[in-house]
Amino acid sequence: MKVYDCVPGLEFDESVDFDVSPVWFQDATHSVPPWTPMFGWFWVNFCRHGMQYGAEKLSLPTVKGWDWRFKDGGGYLALLIVQDPEERRAREERFKVAIKPFIEDFSGMWKGFVDEMVGKYDKLKINLDTATNIELLENFEETINVCRRMWEIHMYMMYGVYTAFVLFEQMTKQLLGFDDSGPQFHKLMSGFDNKSFQVDKGLFDLARKAEEMGLKDLFLSTEAANMKTALLQSPKGQEYLKTFDDFMEKEAGWRLERMAEINVPTWLEDPTPAFAVIKMAIEKGMSYNLDEDRKKHEAERLATEKELLEKIAPEQRSWFKTIMKLAQDSAWFSEEHNHYLDLYAHAMVRRSAMGVGTRFAKEGAIDARDDILFLIPDEVRRAGINPGMFNLRSVVNRRKADWEQWCKQGNAPAYMKEGFTFEDAMKGLVESMDPIALKVVVGSMPVARPELKADLFGVCGSPGTVEGTVKVVWTEAELSKIVKGDIMVAPTTSPSWTPVFSILGGVIVDRGASLSHAAIVGREYGIPVVMNTFEGTKVLKDGMRIRLDANMGAIYILDK
Amino acid sequence: MNVKELYWLDELSKEHNDVVGKKCANLGELVKLGLRVPYGFALSVAAYETFMEQTGLKDTVVQIVEKETKAGLDVDKEIDKMIALSANIRETIERCDMPPGLARQISDYYAELQRKVGITDVPCAVRSSGAVSMPGQMETYLNVRGESEIIRHVKRVWASAFTTRAIVFRIHNNMPISWAPIGIAVIMMIEAKSAGVILTVLPSAGDLERAIVEGNFGLGESVVSGEITPDSFIVNKKDMCVESRSIGEKTKMVVYGESGTTVEDVPVELRKTSCLEDHEILEIVRIAKDAENHFGNPQDMEWVVDKRFVFPENIFWVQARGAKYTKQDAGKNEDYVIDLMLQLFRK
Repeated sequence: MKVYDCVPGLEFDESVDFDVSPVWFQDATHSVPPWTPMFGWFWVNFCRHGMQYGAEKLSLPTVKGWDWRFKDGGGYLALLIVQDPEERRAREERFKVAIKPFIEDFSGMWKGFVDEMVGKYDKLKINLDTATNIELLENFEETINVCRRMWEIHMYMMYGVYTAFVLFEQMTKQLLGFDDSGPQFHKLMSGFDNKSFQVDKGLFDLARKAEEMGLKDLFLSTEAANMKTALLQSPKGQEYLKTFDDFMEKEAGWRLERMAEINVPTWLEDPTPAFAVIKMAIEKGMSYNLDEDRKKHEAERLATEKELLEKIAPEQRSWFKTIMKLAQDSAWFSEEHNHYLDLYAHAMVRRSAMGVGTRFAKEGAIDARDDILFLIPDEVRRAGINPGMFNLRSVVNRRKADWEQWCKQGNAPAYMKEGFTFEDAMKGLVESMDPIALKVVVGSMPVARPELKADLFGVCGSPGTVEGTVKVVWTEAELSKIVKGDIMVAPTTSPSWTPVFSILGGVIVDRGASLSHAAIVGREYGIPVVMNTFEGTKVLKDGMRIRLDANMGAIYILDK
Repeated sequence: MNVKELYWLDELSKEHNDVVGKKCANLGELVKLGLRVPYGFALSVAAYETFMEQTGLKDTVVQIVEKETKAGLDVDKEIDKMIALSANIRETIERCDMPPGLARQISDYYAELQRKVGITDVPCAVRSSGAVSMPGQMETYLNVRGESEIIRHVKRVWASAFTTRAIVFRIHNNMPISWAPIGIAVIMMIEAKSAGVILTVLPSAGDLERAIVEGNFGLGESVVSGEITPDSFIVNKKDMCVESRSIGEKTKMVVYGESGTTVEDVPVELRKTSCLEDHEILEIVRIAKDAENHFGNPQDMEWVVDKRFVFPENIFWVQARGAKYTKQDAGKNEDYVIDLMLQLFRK
């Protein structure tokens, strides 16, 4: 049987796709390592849909969202720039109306969308073991719809609020003389709570509870993977487990190690990562101090606001404050949306896909549950009602072999038409004024300052200076090697990594911008973060002593 | 309108402006809003007229003036003689006995007031309450205690309508000499722990989401006049939390003296302490928000905390009016922000 494309209609094809755009950027933040076919199908289809939906709902004058392609497990994107000046003007008129709700009541809008999505997720939580084949297929179809809706909300909200962020940065540059790499800028963006942090706090509370209940020794002597079994041995442990399970069910259970992949279990399926965080918190004596830190940062933010407002002419203050408020909203939104949108929705995709996978394996369409990750929705539909009548192994085997190959070879950072340079590509990006491209995916380019004689340069994500030992981290499992005061070096960071920030001295990431995860979390924990070093994970090695001056975006290796 | 000679404040509203004068009508309006104003009663313009009629003073006053003008008094130039004339009239009025009907009513109202407040011979302020702006000084008497003293000072306020300037004004405008649309407020004296103002808007920023409370120990005059640095509290009206506070170094305060207010030193140990407890601040904001909702626009109000009463019955209101502030044109602001966003895309 012919093996179809992973993402039919959106597979990268050099012969035609360079007519759409001379450059296709790899989404290195989300598609490294390469996606499984099933997840790639969801992301490429619906992230693409959401971006175009959001840009169109807002009628962004310069960009119509992004086009996406799938190539060897990688996501590749191209900006849909509005070229015709006449069309730009027409879009401006519609934008004027469309952006209003964001200015009037951003948090009210967000609350409405959170309620909508949480309601939709709850409806998906049927018992998959007892469901009939038809019900399973229906659940899967509905999950597709919910995921698509998630991306619509995601990108509509993100485009709207990030537009204000970019504007605010321009304003601070013009009126106050600093941009989003300045320490003062970061102070203005700190001291906000969000749902992701509340979940972290819950984990720290569970660590404290374990100590209070006299379970400290058990936690210290047991591997995270065996924790549940160990806890079940004693009445105290069972009691603790009740609180733990309740927290997983209600708050943390849909956390995934990779925000953009479904091939690892959610915490609800396998609570090992949650136990690992709790164990780490007990072991390393982490204390949850985010609440206190936040109060301090909030006071600092208010003081900075006051100080800066005084430098602004009284007649300009009113609108400056409006833009500042919305820019600040984007700071907490960029962390909180991960919780209610990406993570939760993808956990639901995993849940439904695993339900189908279990049934397919049981009735003989595939060998094992996880083989479902190498199918795509079309094939789920093909065998959905009568899995026992179809053998999908040949598809699974071919795709699995391909995927293993992709993982080995890695993907190119961009595909460019012949004669087209990286500089040309960056120019197009800036021209689009696409706020998501500018502030999340690409960010500012580091400026090398030879007079500093530093070994590596990046862009300030959170201000401060620190000295410490390097720990290079690629996956969540490696977090355990971190001890208090270490400087974490990573390609990027993921929302499920936040608890470790409380013991870090500093963070260096290869890629990121002022609204990336590492920057936002770093600001809330008050630790220096440098981003866009591009080669930090290559240059810096475990155990190296370094000095990190985030204010200058400079990194010095001390023991050369 | 059926006009009475005496009114309780809660019987009054702004429609009674011509009946009892502005001050009384305004206090009545505050009571109607549910605001606690210092307890008291009003004597109407009709009470003044009854007094002047029944005592025959209406004619007496005319006779006194006519006697002098016929003798060739130049009302504009002979200042000394005018002063003597005014003094003569005022003395005549003050010496005259209160007609029994009026005297009984005043004593009934005062007795009821003592019962209401729970203090025998409760000290009162006896203040004039003009229905229109009138030239000349209208008197206010403080710390008036006991029935006979109240009656005596009511007469003194009425007599204060006959200043030289007022007499000259009436002659020039061909008005009856005894014409004086004057009401009187008899209000219990506050024993102020602290007093001040609240604006339910931040006036210079035009921030409608916040209120500012300013206060000092003693009476509110020191805050209104701006002589000292008062304590200042900014409260978020939605969350009802004190967002910022600045405790001023309050060296002076205004207190009631024998015949008016005097400035005193604030005891050294109190100067840098807050003149309000947080629950008092929030109660003041809560009530002011109600007033703002009632009037539909931000309010500028004066409050006093009376040390003789228990929270929340210790908070009294003496003034409420629309606040003056720099208006933020929300729509315009929004349009400007949108315009800036569009500029961004045009780069």
